[in-house]
Amino acid sequence: MTTGRTSNEAWGSRMGLILAMAGNAIGLGNFLRFPVQAASNGGGSFMITYFIALLLLGIPLMWIEWGIGRNGGRYRKGHMPGMLAAIWRHPAAKYLGVIGMVIPLVVMIYYTYIESWTLAFTWFSLTGDYFGRGTQGEMVAYLQSFQGVGDPASRVHSVWTPYAFFLVTLAVNVWIISKGISGGIEKLARIGMPILFLFATVLAVVVLTLPAGPDGSTAWTGLNFIYNPDLSRIGEPRVWLASAGQIFFTLSVGMGSLQAYASYLSTKDDIALNGIATAATNETAEVVLGGSIAIPAAVVFFGVSGAMAVAQSGSFNLGFATMPVVFQQLPMGQLLGAMWFGLLFFAGITSSVAMLTPIVAFFREEFGMSRQPVCYALGVITLLFGLMHIAWLEHGFLDEWDYWAGTFGLVLLAVVETIVFIWVFKPDNAWRSIHQGADIRIPRIFKGIMTYVTPVYLLVILTWWGWQDALPILRMERVTPGSEPYVLLSRGIIVLFAVVLAVLVKIAWTRNGYDDRAGFREVVPQEEVR
Amino acid sequence: MTSSAMVFMAASWTFVLGLTAWSFRRILKKG
Repeated sequence: MTTGRTSNEAWGSRMGLILAMAGNAIGLGNFLRFPVQAASNGGGSFMITYFIALLLLGIPLMWIEWGIGRNGGRYRKGHMPGMLAAIWRHPAAKYLGVIGMVIPLVVMIYYTYIESWTLAFTWFSLTGDYFGRGTQGEMVAYLQSFQGVGDPASRVHSVWTPYAFFLVTLAVNVWIISKGISGGIEKLARIGMPILFLFATVLAVVVLTLPAGPDGSTAWTGLNFIYNPDLSRIGEPRVWLASAGQIFFTLSVGMGSLQAYASYLSTKDDIALNGIATAATNETAEVVLGGSIAIPAAVVFFGVSGAMAVAQSGSFNLGFATMPVVFQQLPMGQLLGAMWFGLLFFAGITSSVAMLTPIVAFFREEFGMSRQPVCYALGVITLLFGLMHIAWLEHGFLDEWDYWAGTFGLVLLAVVETIVFIWVFKPDNAWRSIHQGADIRIPRIFKGIMTYVTPVYLLVILTWWGWQDALPILRMERVTPGSEPYVLLSRGIIVLFAVVLAVLVKIAWTRNGYDDRAGFREVVPQEEVR
Repeated sequence: MTSSAMVFMAASWTFVLGLTAWSFRRILKKG
């Protein structure tokens, strides 16, 4: 049995790997979604359930995904079909792995579009483009105008502006990925992550030292708003699900990208300590910095009730409408605005480059293609489908992808990979695999958690979300009249991706002569992380 | 800020910053 075509890439250094992994995890959700979720779900109650979910769901899943990825790397498989087939010698394994290629491809396409908003607003901040629109309503109208939503007569920008920023954002993404793991992604993380932490720290200090607002509220009132322990809500399933969902999104598990990054490690490299370091870095960015910027700033300028209304109107309104209103009232507001959107851009791009990694790995490893042509071809595909998101945003085209791939799909892949890695591979083998080359011994209680608690936790989330959201969304109960054809097309494209990728997997297995029941031949690593 | 909110915030920050410091200290010690 052959191993298919191979690539000899590896991470340049351990710190580079951790920064890239942390960059993959730290995204827009750390700074926008987390404070909104915490404030809307009982503050202290949310934080208690959040840390329980981190320990029972997030960290175990991180280790499972690092383990799956590194095990796949033994056979030079940087994609989920190969990784699952390496563990479960069954013909179905490779097709289950297709979920782990559809999700990152779909999410990457619409995420790059959202990322382009952050680049655009960085530019608008530097040039003072939105300055003079000093109310929440005016800024919401400005954001919608940029997105091409609402009344065309009140448009502020050219209709081509969002397309131009999307094109630039996509070009930067493709350029970075085309430079490879060490020369592109790792370099980006080494530059982007320190900038992200610097900008976030400066903004947090500025916000926490703001003088009291019109109603006497300070940033500390805002922190009180997030952390106030309304323990009466700890019995609500909604709070537990909200915190579990946040842990899921923030760590970027169930995506396929973390596993792809880990596949460039050898069995001599640690994953136990690296996994904890990555999760901890992400949590610092989220809890300490993410919680100290947007909501406290909104409370200072709009009071607690105003901030609550902003939070309930959605994370994007908080980030792209409320924060610009705040910056307009601060000294050096243009610079602070550019720092805010700049940090969101770096948070976004270090995540989006990770999402294409599994697909690039698939074409390189299974079809022997070189990196650049694969990256350029994927860039064209992303451009083509990204344009649909820009044109049909108001018809729920993006929301549909965000739900099926970016929400439901993540839990589905996590359920599949947990069952395969823990139950099919067997807990003892999984535990041994995670500890190969480990710098720490993981407390044994986590073996029981990974075997029983994490899968049950995931199945509860999948069932709840399926019952609560998936069925109404599937029946298009929440679609605005007239948008049904766009929603159907949006779904049809996801199905098309799944079918095409499944066919490509079948072709790859046939052309490389893989035997599903025999497994792959192990590859001796050429390079290891120093 | 109420004292209970301050306790929750202090505990949350201590946990994540402590975990980050501990893990990076171990990594740097390993070289």
